[in-house]
Amino acid sequence: MEYYRPEISGRWMIGLTNMVDLPTQTLSPQTKEQGFLRVFQKVTRLISMVLDHQQVMDTIVSSLPDLLDIDACTIRLLDVDTNTFVLGAAHGLSLEYLSRKSIDTEETMEMIKSGYPVAKVDLDEDPTYRDRDAAAKEGIKSVLTLPILFQDAIIGIMRLLTKSQRLFTAEEISFSMALAEQVGVAISNGRMFKEMENQVDFMNEVQKISRMVNSTLDMDSVLNTIVQRVPVSMEAKGCTLRLFNPLTNQLELVASYGVSEKYLKQSNIEDEKNVTMVLSGEPVAIYDVASDDRVLNKKNMMEEGINSLLAVPITVGKEIIGVLRIFSEKHHSFTSTEVNFAVTVSEAGGTAIQNARIYQKINLLFNQIEENERFLGDILDCIRPELLVVDKDRHVVLANKVCQQRLGMEEADILGMEYHELCSSNKDRSACPVDDVLRDGKPATYEHTVELKDGEHWLERTASPMFDENGNVEFVIEIIRDITTKRTLEKEQMERVELQGVVELAGTVAHEINTPLFAALGTAQILEEDIEKQELIADVQTIIRNLKNISELTKKMTDMTGFERKDYVGEANIVEFK
Amino acid sequence: MAEILALDDVQDATVLIGKILKKKGHNVHTFTEEDDAINFAKKNKVDLAILDIKLKRMSGVEVLAELKKSTPDMHAIMLTGYPTVETAREAISLGADEYCVKPIDRDELEEKVEKVLES
Repeated sequence: MEYYRPEISGRWMIGLTNMVDLPTQTLSPQTKEQGFLRVFQKVTRLISMVLDHQQVMDTIVSSLPDLLDIDACTIRLLDVDTNTFVLGAAHGLSLEYLSRKSIDTEETMEMIKSGYPVAKVDLDEDPTYRDRDAAAKEGIKSVLTLPILFQDAIIGIMRLLTKSQRLFTAEEISFSMALAEQVGVAISNGRMFKEMENQVDFMNEVQKISRMVNSTLDMDSVLNTIVQRVPVSMEAKGCTLRLFNPLTNQLELVASYGVSEKYLKQSNIEDEKNVTMVLSGEPVAIYDVASDDRVLNKKNMMEEGINSLLAVPITVGKEIIGVLRIFSEKHHSFTSTEVNFAVTVSEAGGTAIQNARIYQKINLLFNQIEENERFLGDILDCIRPELLVVDKDRHVVLANKVCQQRLGMEEADILGMEYHELCSSNKDRSACPVDDVLRDGKPATYEHTVELKDGEHWLERTASPMFDENGNVEFVIEIIRDITTKRTLEKEQMERVELQGVVELAGTVAHEINTPLFAALGTAQILEEDIEKQELIADVQTIIRNLKNISELTKKMTDMTGFERKDYVGEANIVEFK
Repeated sequence: MAEILALDDVQDATVLIGKILKKKGHNVHTFTEEDDAINFAKKNKVDLAILDIKLKRMSGVEVLAELKKSTPDMHAIMLTGYPTVETAREAISLGADEYCVKPIDRDELEEKVEKVLES
C-alpha cells in the first residue's frame, strides 16, 4: 500500500490508492478544467436554491453521480456527542448496504478525521475492511471519501462510489475536495438557517406555552399544558414532569404525556445520574440512552422505545422545584436551541406552577376562613341567648337567629337598624346597657320585663365593649337572655322558703302551747269531776270547751302544708292555714 | 296496779299524768330531769314509761333507748306536742308501744295506758 500525493496545494492533498492500473485519461487538461467548472457551477446553483440542509444533502447526493460519472454518493454528518458519522443522505445504494456496521476501515476513518481525502479501489477485497462482503454484495469497487469542512472543522464526510474500478486523479480529488467544502458551506448555512428558523419557532412556541400556563391558576392545566406542548413542539415522543413534594422533599410524578403507565410505574428516577445532574441546575442531553452511563434504567427506556433524552430543571428564580424529561423515539442529538427552548419553557412553567401553588394555598385558606365563618355563624345561631352587635353609631351589624326570631324580623331588615328602634319594647330608655358601654367603655347589665305574645318576659341584657386599636369603643356586643324561667323558679323558691318558715314557726308554737294546754285541759277535766256545785261545773266546762278549741287550732298548725295570705287591716296581712 | 314513770320538761304535765293514772290505781313516779328518770329506772321496777319527745337536755327517743337498756321489757308511750314522721318511726323502732299527740284527752290517756299494760 502506498500513498499518492497529487500536485495540488492544500493539506488534504494526500490520497490513498491500491495497487491498480490507472484508467487512461483521454481529455485535455483545459477541457477537464472546463468540465470541473461546469459541475461546480451547477452544484453551486443547485445548492443555492435550497435552504434546508437536508435538501442540500439530498440535492448533492442525487446530482453528483451524473455530474461526476459515478454510481453512488453518500453524505454523513458528524455527531459531536458520539464522535461518529451519521447518515445524512444517500443515492444509488441499497438500504442493506447503508446499514452495515462500519463505513470504512479504521485507518481510512482516521485519515478522514484528520482532514485528508482517501481514494480507494478494490474495497470489496480489502482484508482490513470488515464489511468488505457487504461492499462486494453491493458491487462497490472504488470509493473516494472526502472530509466535509466548514471553518477548518470537519462536520461530515462525502463518499463518491463506483461499481467499476476507478482511480480518481489528483485533479478529480482536488475538485471533489473543493466541491465537498462547498457542500460544507451549504450544509452549515442550511443548518444555521434551520437553527434560526427553529429558534424563531421555539420562541413563538415558548410565547404560546408561557401565555397558556400563565393564563390559568389551575395546577392540572399548567402541568398538562407543559407536558403536552413541549414534546409536540420538539417532535419528541413524550415527556414527564416531576416536582419536589415540599413535605417529603422527594420528587413526585405530577404529569406525563406520551409514555405508558407501565413505564411510569417502573420508572424510579431518584438514582438516575441525569436527574442528579439536572438537580444541580445543569440540563442533560443524551443521544443514546442504551449506552449512556448517565441513564440507570436503560431496560425500561428501551422497552418504552426511548432512545434519546433531554432533562432540564424546573426553576423558580434560583430554586429548582422539579425535573422535566423529554423523550425521543429516534436517536436525536439535541441542539442548543432545543435545550434552550426546554430550559425556557421550564422556567416559565416553574413560575406558573409556583403561581398555581400559591393560588391553591390562598384558595385553601379562603375555604378554611369560609368554613370557620360558617362554623362560627352556626354556633351563634345555635346558642340560646340572643346576640346583637352594634357599632359606635348604634347601628346593628349582627343579630343571631334567636334574636331574629324573638323580634320576628329577617336578618336583612335588622342589619343597619338603629339600636333603640330595634329595642323599642324596652320602655325604660334610661336602662340601656349599650348606651352605658358606649359612654363608659365598661360592661353593663340590666334586667327588665317586656310584653311578648305569650305574656310578660324577663330579659337580662349584658353589653360588653369591643375596642379599636386606639382603645375607643368600636362595637358593643349585647347578649340578651330570657330569664323568665329563672325568675319564676327564684320566686317559687322564695315562696317555698317562706312556707317552710311559716310551717316551722307554726309547729314550734303549737308544740310550745300543746304541753301547757295538755296540763290545763287535763286538770280542768279532773276538776270537773271533783266539784259538786252546778254553777262551777258549768264554768269549768266553758274552760274545757275553749281549751279544746285551742287544741283544734294547734292541731291545724301542726298539720299545715301551706297558707294563703289574706288582707287584714291597712297594710297588715293575715294567713289562712291550708 | 303498775309502776309508771312519767317524764316531761313541764312539771304541770307530769303532775296531771300522775293525778289521772293514780286515780286508776297505778303508782306514778314523775320526773322533769332525764337523768333522774334514767337512774330511777335502773334501780326500780318500771312497767310503763310515759315520755315526752321534747325534753330539756335529751330527746324522749334517746331516753327511751337508755331505759330499754336497763329494762328491755318495759312498755312505753311517747307524747309529743309536735308530731313528725321521723320521731314516730324512731320511737316505734326502739320499742315504743304508742305515739300520742298532745293535748291528749284524759279518757284517751287512760285507755292507751290500759291497752299497753294488757298487751
